[in-house]
Amino acid sequence: MAIELHPLEQFSIERLIPIHIGGLDLSYTNAALMMTIAVVLVTALTVLATRRAALIPGRWQSAAEMIYEFVADMVDTNIGHGGREFFPFIFTLFTFILFANLLGMIPYSYTTTSQIIVTFALAAVVFILVTTIGIIRHGFHFLSLFVPHGVPKVLLLLLVPIELLSYFIRPFTLSIRLFANMLAGHTMLAIFGGFAASVGIFAFFPAAINVLLVGLEFLVAVLQAYVFAILTCLYLNEAIHLH
Amino acid sequence: MSEGEAPDPLARLGERIDKARAERVRRQPTAADRSALQQGIGSGLRIGIELVVAIGVATGLGWATDHWLGTRPWGMIVLFFLGVAAGMLNVYRAVTGIGTPVGYRRAGEEGAGTRAAKDEWDDDEN
Repeated sequence: MAIELHPLEQFSIERLIPIHIGGLDLSYTNAALMMTIAVVLVTALTVLATRRAALIPGRWQSAAEMIYEFVADMVDTNIGHGGREFFPFIFTLFTFILFANLLGMIPYSYTTTSQIIVTFALAAVVFILVTTIGIIRHGFHFLSLFVPHGVPKVLLLLLVPIELLSYFIRPFTLSIRLFANMLAGHTMLAIFGGFAASVGIFAFFPAAINVLLVGLEFLVAVLQAYVFAILTCLYLNEAIHLH
Repeated sequence: MSEGEAPDPLARLGERIDKARAERVRRQPTAADRSALQQGIGSGLRIGIELVVAIGVATGLGWATDHWLGTRPWGMIVLFFLGVAAGMLNVYRAVTGIGTPVGYRRAGEEGAGTRAAKDEWDDDEN
């Protein structure tokens, strides 16, 4: 008795509502649905929980305030002066990724952050924002980011390309980190789940490993949202204060 | 009933509760420990991918340049080494930033401790 394993099947995109406009496939997919749910949940948590704000917060208000304070603290320590105006952006980014990651942990749901195009779009937004802010704030002087001070002129020929490259690689590292972590984690869960289904009475061992992996995946889900948000803070810090 | 005459078993119970509480407080990781752990995990997960992606993207860029300009294989070779250097630079920066929250440097912070740990080149970059 062989059970076919398709650990990558969970990432397939299905069109729920096909929409085709002028040769473009703009269908509403299962990935889009999960993103919508994430947005709705975040909005519900922040709006409903604080609608009747009490001095002594209830459970939901407490949860919303904890996330708020966590992000506010992150923005303050990592961007510092002038960082508060980016708080809404960081908060949106963090909560969206967090909810998308955590929603993916529900069995039979879909992990949107395991799609490179989703994470790359987020990272591209961050990259464009950071670069734009840097240029607006510092103008031509922003390019000094790529020129290390006090280095012999000859070495600059080598160092400037390296600095440029390390700057332009940011959206890739930012997006691939999140995408790879989610993809790998969920694939692993599916593989061990498949083992458990196919080895009969020995199913206990892969199942036990899966229980541990689920715990690990929850950690990764929260941590990757945190890493994404904190790196955005650090990049913004660099663009605003420019060393 | 005054305090001095508290029944013996009850007084001892109070003592035992105090002792157990003290023990529990001692055994629990402090907030500082926990945040250090979080930052450790955070930076560990971050750095792993930094080098790989830098090399991959740079080499891909080199390949594309070659394809476009017909300079095979020079663009790929040059950009591969630049990618290695850029990746190492990113990792180096992330590592020297450990201790400050998972990253380069804390905003506006130039403490004596972090300064001493950096070499001259890094200092110049600030």
